[in-house]
Amino acid sequence: MSNTHTVSLAEDCGSFLADGATALEYRHRAIDPYLSFCEKVTLDFSGVRTANSSFMNALVSGLLENHGEVVLKKLVFKGCKPALAVLVESAIELGIRKSGGRITA
Amino acid sequence: MTVDFSKLRRVVPAAIVSLAASVHLWERQRRQVHFSGVHECEILGYLQRMDFFKACGVEMQESFQRWESKGRFVPVCMVTQPIDEMGADVAGCLAPGGEDYEHPMSGLFDTIAYVLTEVGNNIRQHSGGVGYAAAQVNRQEGMIKMALADNGMGILKSFQSVEAPWSMSTTHAEAIAKALEPRISCKAGEPNEGVGLTLVGEMVSIMRGWLLVVSGNGVLISRRDGSRTLEELPEGAFYQGTLVAMSFPETAASHYADHLRKAKIKSGLLHPGSGRAILEP
Repeated sequence: MSNTHTVSLAEDCGSFLADGATALEYRHRAIDPYLSFCEKVTLDFSGVRTANSSFMNALVSGLLENHGEVVLKKLVFKGCKPALAVLVESAIELGIRKSGGRITA
Repeated sequence: MTVDFSKLRRVVPAAIVSLAASVHLWERQRRQVHFSGVHECEILGYLQRMDFFKACGVEMQESFQRWESKGRFVPVCMVTQPIDEMGADVAGCLAPGGEDYEHPMSGLFDTIAYVLTEVGNNIRQHSGGVGYAAAQVNRQEGMIKMALADNGMGILKSFQSVEAPWSMSTTHAEAIAKALEPRISCKAGEPNEGVGLTLVGEMVSIMRGWLLVVSGNGVLISRRDGSRTLEELPEGAFYQGTLVAMSFPETAASHYADHLRKAKIKSGLLHPGSGRAILEP
């Protein structure tokens, strides 16, 4: 079994990501289960036109809350346009804060 | 309940959506709603083209040809469809071509989509009521005007419903101000992080736009110079639900990613230089 796992957000959720409930369900189904045994999990945003904070926070911050900051060593965010990268970084900060970790400046 | 249109001369999206939401509420309460003076109304055609009467469930004959709305306005629509589809539809209408990332309108497209979906999510998750959205482009002024209104419980009651301790002895206006603070949510935990309205407020402010939030008898106005005031509606008036309306310069919205970053930093949700994500092209 491969120790890497890649999910395509555009293929699975669409090119326009705006619903936090959809993100939460997707994370539980398509990402969480792989983090325990994969060395690398790639979230591929290629083809995603735009997203909002509701979606990205539900998708990313919960990963840190549930798996701790160490999960950042496994997660790769691929194909992010500049605004998506802002949303990803902000969601990571939120996750670190919620997981009790210190936010490094 | 009679709504008299005879002296109506001018209307903005905020008025159209809040009236549509109120009419829907009154009918849900089984109150008879009567529209009077409609045919004396100078802007009857505009109200019809904005689908105001249609949103209120009133069928009327039209004496004009319906031209394409793309690039000019978004007729009243109910906030019920999947929020991502609604965001794409409205953004595509106000910023035609912006769906293409390389298009000059893409920043405006992204800004509209972001604002609309975050406020729309609030309506769906918190209000317990029905929401309406409408928008307009004023090319002469170069301004985008957008509004979303619902007929739900309002911001104060929404905080009280989750027993936020501070909300038990506060006013509607103060509750609106609290809703614009980061990480203050009416529903704690996943998938809600309580940053939607905060970031919308910051982004409008960064674009030197104007924001109006009305809920209960509370009114928050954020002006283009960055000043904010909290007021109460006059003469005992009360809005059942929440109205969020804004206008911002079309050109300012082109720097979407930069504005989003600044809004996150200003809200304390992102710290410069703290990047931890492994980003691959």
